Amino acid sequence: MSNSHDHDHKAAPMVDEVSDFEALEVAVRELCIEKGLFTQADHNEWTEYMHTLGPTPAARLVAKAWLDEDYKQLCIDDPVKASLEVGINWITSMPSNFGTPSDYCNPRILVDTPTLKHVVVCTLCSCYPRPILGQSPEWYRTPNYRRRMVRWPRQVLSEFGLQLPEDVEIRVADSNQKTRYVVMPVRPEGTDGWTEDQLAEIVTRDCLIGVAMPRADRKADDKRPVIPAIHPYGH
Amino acid sequence: MSSSHHVEKATNVGDPQCFKGEAPPAKFKVGDRVRIRNLPDIFYTRSQMYLREAEATVVKLVYESPPAEDEAWDNTDSPEWFYSLLFKQSDLWPDYPKKFEADTLETELSERWLEAL
Amino acid sequence: MTKSIPLLEKIGKEGRVWSDLCEQYGVENPDPPWRVFLESTCEVLNEGSCVLPSLERRDEEDELVDELYKHIPHPERQVLALAHSMILRGIITEEDLEKHLKTVTERLNAA
Repeated sequence: MSNSHDHDHKAAPMVDEVSDFEALEVAVRELCIEKGLFTQADHNEWTEYMHTLGPTPAARLVAKAWLDEDYKQLCIDDPVKASLEVGINWITSMPSNFGTPSDYCNPRILVDTPTLKHVVVCTLCSCYPRPILGQSPEWYRTPNYRRRMVRWPRQVLSEFGLQLPEDVEIRVADSNQKTRYVVMPVRPEGTDGWTEDQLAEIVTRDCLIGVAMPRADRKADDKRPVIPAIHPYGH
Repeated sequence: MSSSHHVEKATNVGDPQCFKGEAPPAKFKVGDRVRIRNLPDIFYTRSQMYLREAEATVVKLVYESPPAEDEAWDNTDSPEWFYSLLFKQSDLWPDYPKKFEADTLETELSERWLEAL
Repeated sequence: MTKSIPLLEKIGKEGRVWSDLCEQYGVENPDPPWRVFLESTCEVLNEGSCVLPSLERRDEEDELVDELYKHIPHPERQVLALAHSMILRGIITEEDLEKHLKTVTERLNAA
């Protein structure tokens, strides 16, 4: 991409081509509507809702908790109420007004300590706390992650660039029922005196899943896995 | 799995909130040690195979709900208590490295899957 | 071993994936704009009359990706798996899909 002098007027680059996959998505969707499997209106409602979702509310929840012990306790005692304070209503935000069939309304915040590290997986199908964290990343949905995280958590975490000492308990939370988990990591060094906004910036999506730990110098997730798995092997 | 069967009940209340108070009194309490029963799966289960016959500690009574095995057939008549259970990884996997003895796994099961130790 | 569906196999082999398109056009978005439409389709198919329940679809997606679409990235593999699941269940036919795909491609390219 070149730096031209007319940078104010240069349009953002766009993919100027329709891929076979893009056409396939449209074709499948339109056939479904034609057959009455769902309506365009239902589909639009979901798309609009999905566009509102992202990891920011969960990041803010953690940042608030780091700064306020009472709010941190609320996160533990009443996560639905705690979510409301970051603008997320687990009960009425979504198109169905009672939680989606996939997300339900029972968020739980898993609080890390210096000797307890949580990491979230859904072995059965990749359930994820979408209302407060947005869409799950692709790697989270793969059998490679789902089958191996419960069995070889330390191996998988090291492939994600995270290694923890033996005396730290790694607790894998397998969200197999109606609860959806968000990890509240330990506040990192080098963040004294930071505002809520500054703290929220370093709580990335991967920190909220538990495969990364927040750092004062990092505002974006690394590409994962850091080291691709070839064979699962014992450590 | 249809979600329409309890739409009215759950709208603006939430699921599993809408089943609050409907289960029989909880059989287990926090701190109880349990074993996971190896019930036969007919068609559908949300009780992972790797948990069967393992021992665990009840760490939280999380909510009341029809068990997934019933809900899959639109049967919401008999909610049960759901428990969050803590397992030692070394109890789940025979070759889990000894030096990581502290590692654990937490997951939820409905009451029918548990028997007292 | 799941039987391959020729139409989908062809798209898998010849279709241009988002990362390649991004490289060519200098675009940085991690996901194609149609990804969210695909997610919505999966959601609405799970609701109501529940034509294709999520758990079944996901299990089948894992199998199909493992057997047929392993080398295709996400979300391209997800749309292939969805189409495949729907054809296997007779919700749509390969012929209908092929016909409609032609119409859609012409329409999108004319725009």
